[in-house]
Amino acid sequence: MTQRLFAPITLLLVLIFLIGPFLIIVAASFSAGDTLAFPPQGFSFKWILKVFTVESFRDSFVMSMFLAIGGTFAALLLGIPAAYAMSRYKLPFSETVRTIVSAPIIVPGIIVGLALLRYFVVPIGLSITLALFLAHTALVLPYAVRVVSASLNNLRSDIEEAAVLLGSSRLGAFFRVVLPNIRGGILSAFILGFVTSFNQVPVSLFLSGPGVRTLPVDMLGYMEIVFDPSIAALSSLLAFLSIGIVFAAERFLGFSRYV
Amino acid sequence: MFQNRAEALALALPAAIFAGLVFLVPVILLLSEGFRSADSWSLSAYADFFSQPLNRTVFLRTLKLGAIVTAAAAVIGYATAYAIVSLPPGAKGRMIGLVVLPLMISPVARTYAWIVILGRTGIVNQALMAIGLSDEPIRILFSETAVFIGLLQLFLPLMVISLISALENLPKDVVPAARVLGANWFQVFWKVILPLTREGLVVGGTLVFTGSMTAYITPAILGGSKVLMLETLLYQQVTVANNFVSASVIAFILIVMSFAANILLKRVATARNKR
Repeated sequence: MTQRLFAPITLLLVLIFLIGPFLIIVAASFSAGDTLAFPPQGFSFKWILKVFTVESFRDSFVMSMFLAIGGTFAALLLGIPAAYAMSRYKLPFSETVRTIVSAPIIVPGIIVGLALLRYFVVPIGLSITLALFLAHTALVLPYAVRVVSASLNNLRSDIEEAAVLLGSSRLGAFFRVVLPNIRGGILSAFILGFVTSFNQVPVSLFLSGPGVRTLPVDMLGYMEIVFDPSIAALSSLLAFLSIGIVFAAERFLGFSRYV
Repeated sequence: MFQNRAEALALALPAAIFAGLVFLVPVILLLSEGFRSADSWSLSAYADFFSQPLNRTVFLRTLKLGAIVTAAAAVIGYATAYAIVSLPPGAKGRMIGLVVLPLMISPVARTYAWIVILGRTGIVNQALMAIGLSDEPIRILFSETAVFIGLLQLFLPLMVISLISALENLPKDVVPAARVLGANWFQVFWKVILPLTREGLVVGGTLVFTGSMTAYITPAILGGSKVLMLETLLYQQVTVANNFVSASVIAFILIVMSFAANILLKRVATARNKR
């Protein structure tokens, strides 16, 4: 009897611990009161609507979107050829290349941000936006290489060798044979990179200037000053956005096969 | 397998050069600052760093929180993973989905929720006062307990997932066999389940430990300046004290920890592939 109850009770408690706080945030964002509280005082959409009127949120949202989309795109442009070289060629120093390319995943983001600030932004005068773009690209690169490598390794290499033997150029074989077959992997890498970059805080912490900062860093700053439910509202909106994206990816791509 | 080396390099070098320039070079420069003093190489920055009680406290606290979060995640993780693995297939998939779900939510949002729960007027304090356990709100935010809870919630899913895949590879009959032969649940866990799932535990444990060690958001929001951890101390050293040498020392400690964990993970992964 006790054993029967063990599993459901454990799962219930763990789920309350893992998901409960998020549900509270969602509830708090529909509050009508002026301070963050649970249970929420009354019901209104005013905090959800307020999020869209705060100018700094709009600016930092655009910045985060730009970094997440642009940075991931750049990381894929660099990562796909690298992954292809590592899986299909006898690449000299391939272990070294792999280590360098995947190093950004091991080093804590705050250090990368600080290093870029100290050696690129301050002495050379690199713009903060560009530094952010480079940092986010480097951050996503390991994921891009890993996910694309995995789907290349699942694809038999003789089909492109066959295409080459039948007279296709190497490049033609890549674009007409390989690329269509790893499309799912590339899209999955894009989504993983997008979510990683968008939610990333430490890398962007030091890289902020007047009017230039990412949305999560902006939220951190805002919550230190103002104690109203707008951060809860914004958090819920963002959470539903990422959950929606990942769910759609799982539905249409079988996302979890790739990551 | 294509043999053309020049072509291979042309494909792989842009990524390697990019990561080297944007990432490796500045990080190495930053780390080297901690080993220099007055134009020569020295370890004096490290001696200085550890001679200050605050820095020692933060260093030990970071290790301690990393360790207890990992231990708690392991205990809860085993119970959860075992419960999930024994579910019927459909329910199992849904349950794994629910456990993974928080990983997709911004850590800022996930940590922020604890302010509502643990704050002065939060749910916990309301409940404590309602049942008369306390007359006035007790301080939970900005304590190690708050940081511990936040970190555990953030990283528990990683442990559960690692243990689920380990437990799924556990032969179906070993647990019932041990039970039939008279082992109690403690013996079953210690002598059968643990040795057979050790790799999953190591993988989950390193992910949780390095994640907790290098966390910024959780100690920043739930610990504040009262409960500094290495990353929040690093941030403070740069923004408040403008002390880049000390920041470099902290950066080096963090990187060494991450690398050590990563090597351990690789070892485990290769050991598994060999079998």
